[in-house]
Amino acid sequence: MTEKDREKEKQHETHPGGEPAGKTESHKGGNDRFLRDNQPDEQKGAVQSQGKGETDSDTVDSSDVKQPADSAAKKAAAAAKAKAAAAAKAKAAGAAKGGSIPGRASAKKKKEPPEPSPKQPVLDRWVRIIRGALGEEAVEDAMINRPNGHLPTLFISKDRWLEAARLLKEHEELAFDYLQNLAGVDYEEHMEVVFHLFSMRHRHAVGVRVKTERENPEIPSVTCVWAGADWNEREVYDLLGIRFTGHPDLRRILMPDDWVGHPLRKDYEPFDEGV
Amino acid sequence: MLGLLKGMGVTLKNMTKKKVTYKYPDEPVKMPERFRGIQHFDPEKCIVCNQCARVCPTDCITLTGRKHPDPNKRGKIIDTYDINFEICILCDLCTEVCPTEAIVMTRNFELAAYSRDELFKDMEWLHDNNTKIRGGSQ
Amino acid sequence: MLRTEEMLLNVGPQHPSTHGVFRLVITIDGETITEAKPVVGYLHRGTEKLAEDLTYTQIVPYTDRMDYLSAMTNNYIVVHAAETLMEVELPERAEFLRVIVMELNRIASHLVWFGTYLLDIGAMSPFLLAFREREQILDLFNDLCGARLTYNYMRIGGVKWDVPEGWLDQVRAFISNMREKLKEYEDLVAGNEIFLNRTRGIGVYSADEAIDYGLSGVNLRAAGVDWDLRRDRPYSVYDRFEFDVPVGKNGDLYDKFTCRMEEIRQSLRIVEQAVDQFPEGPVMAKVPRVIRVPEGEAYVQMESPRGELGCYLVSRGKDKPYRLKFRRPSFYNLQILPRLLKGENVANLVAILGGIDIVLGEVDA
Repeated sequence: MTEKDREKEKQHETHPGGEPAGKTESHKGGNDRFLRDNQPDEQKGAVQSQGKGETDSDTVDSSDVKQPADSAAKKAAAAAKAKAAAAAKAKAAGAAKGGSIPGRASAKKKKEPPEPSPKQPVLDRWVRIIRGALGEEAVEDAMINRPNGHLPTLFISKDRWLEAARLLKEHEELAFDYLQNLAGVDYEEHMEVVFHLFSMRHRHAVGVRVKTERENPEIPSVTCVWAGADWNEREVYDLLGIRFTGHPDLRRILMPDDWVGHPLRKDYEPFDEGV
Repeated sequence: MLGLLKGMGVTLKNMTKKKVTYKYPDEPVKMPERFRGIQHFDPEKCIVCNQCARVCPTDCITLTGRKHPDPNKRGKIIDTYDINFEICILCDLCTEVCPTEAIVMTRNFELAAYSRDELFKDMEWLHDNNTKIRGGSQ
Repeated sequence: MLRTEEMLLNVGPQHPSTHGVFRLVITIDGETITEAKPVVGYLHRGTEKLAEDLTYTQIVPYTDRMDYLSAMTNNYIVVHAAETLMEVELPERAEFLRVIVMELNRIASHLVWFGTYLLDIGAMSPFLLAFREREQILDLFNDLCGARLTYNYMRIGGVKWDVPEGWLDQVRAFISNMREKLKEYEDLVAGNEIFLNRTRGIGVYSADEAIDYGLSGVNLRAAGVDWDLRRDRPYSVYDRFEFDVPVGKNGDLYDKFTCRMEEIRQSLRIVEQAVDQFPEGPVMAKVPRVIRVPEGEAYVQMESPRGELGCYLVSRGKDKPYRLKFRRPSFYNLQILPRLLKGENVANLVAILGGIDIVLGEVDA
């Protein structure tokens, strides 16, 4: 079996010592640059990889032409060109497949809009119900998450979240009584809490995203609606710092009780780095 | 009462069956072919591509290379190669990505030591560790 | 009149019956528990934070260690989340291999539950008998992927190794052996009056409460809710196999026991069908060496031996995830413990806690 594996690895590409002279030490983090340089035949895979490399602190966007500073310059330029061509192709293909972010979808649609999702009427109906009961501003946005099995996703404003949660649970047609997942995400400008709900009666699922800002983030707690949200909100508070107003017992659950800071935030500095 | 008697019957029946325990460590236990034990390193085959160090999930491999002393040949040869066995999780990803099979797993897993210093395996030790190599003759 | 007061008892993190480092602070009045406060976090290793810094292939060994008794299912959920976003077509042989190893892992996990639960209740022999069978499964896994507990077997696009020579015959031999042994376990335990007294009618909760708390797996099915993700939201190739899903009636511990035993039987059935239908072909799809997942987010779920294991993946198009969150079943299942323990005897505490079947590596992640 190892032989087959070796062959398979060799098929993709080999790195015959293609490291520039300066880097002889091994290190992991900053090497993403090289992984993207020597990728001439990445397109071979059955994967549409939209190489939207956003510039991050430790990775470099290789779809721009970089300053050739090392011996792999020619290869980098060729790879970058091939990558740019593929990225453009992938973008067009991606538009046909349907974007999963509403703002981007309109920007990417070059050829024709994707065919309407089968869950679109369901989503519209739910948005109408919620907006009818709580007002226009309760639902900020709504979209269908295509790769995820066409999951209808709602963006609910945090001021009306508690009433919206009650409505989602108690309304006849919605009846979302099972809380599948409660997660917090730290996007750099804002924070979000994501809920995935399921209805045992009607067997349909929905995803809900509630946005809040980064300084003093607060979201109403839904422990009174779904009892299973209790510890999850404590975990989100512990790791991300989002306060849940109305929670019966909001304190740290996974980290020690006297810990300072919220580890899962993107700007968290561990105090014992290098131990 | 009946349930208790039936249970007793099962227990007594098991008394007469063959024992399934191994007499380890008096008898060695043979591990299968694909077992993931500590690695064996062959410096001749290494081309210093750094893939193993890059793919290691815990960053336990450190290596340095230097230019080939023979001016006709390109590439590098390996200078030092260390595996920090305290944090190696024997996940086998390094052998999976090595293009020349310079690093392979062996079936040695009895590596308890009395001090932490012995757990930092350097190239010499890894090269001498050539018994029970996976896919080898033993 | 005698003066009584309540006592605070600490069922500490080091305890043989808490199945891991789990602390429970209970207030007792005589022998009755009035309040129970679980304290978790002793095994928190920051897997979710680490995952933001590792590529997808590097995360898989870390997921092994979350729910260490069923590492294959943990491997699968991460790989499945990435594959859902990438929309990769998997070869059939890889899918069948995945199903076989996941079901074998389910049997192994339930055997551990069986052994340790009965050990908590007081019986010593079932523990050894269960582990004798479990050794056979672990030997099978040792032959297949080189490790007994932390497999690191699944990759994005397939599995790492193909089966060695004679492995499928060994699996078949194991299936027939296990079926006989299951009968033996039922003889040993299920009719035992002491066992029935300790588990019938204890730790009862209703189906509505189970749904409200977000329980999953056997905890939900023992209360009467007929919900199994392998049948109702099929993933991988589970829709090609025929199997029944045991559902309990009362929601007490005895129903959980029968449900889990029956699940072992049904898993054996699935493995048998998978081995019979095993196709030829490659075990790994063509994926690039550096795996980049397209931008987007996805929540995928599957049925692990403990319940609904889910993974919420937010990707920004790079080769490392932006946010990887695991929906860990033991974490959700443990929330009902304070409610179940109110008014119970201290002696029933261990039985109820064991019945929930938690693994602390998963609770804390």
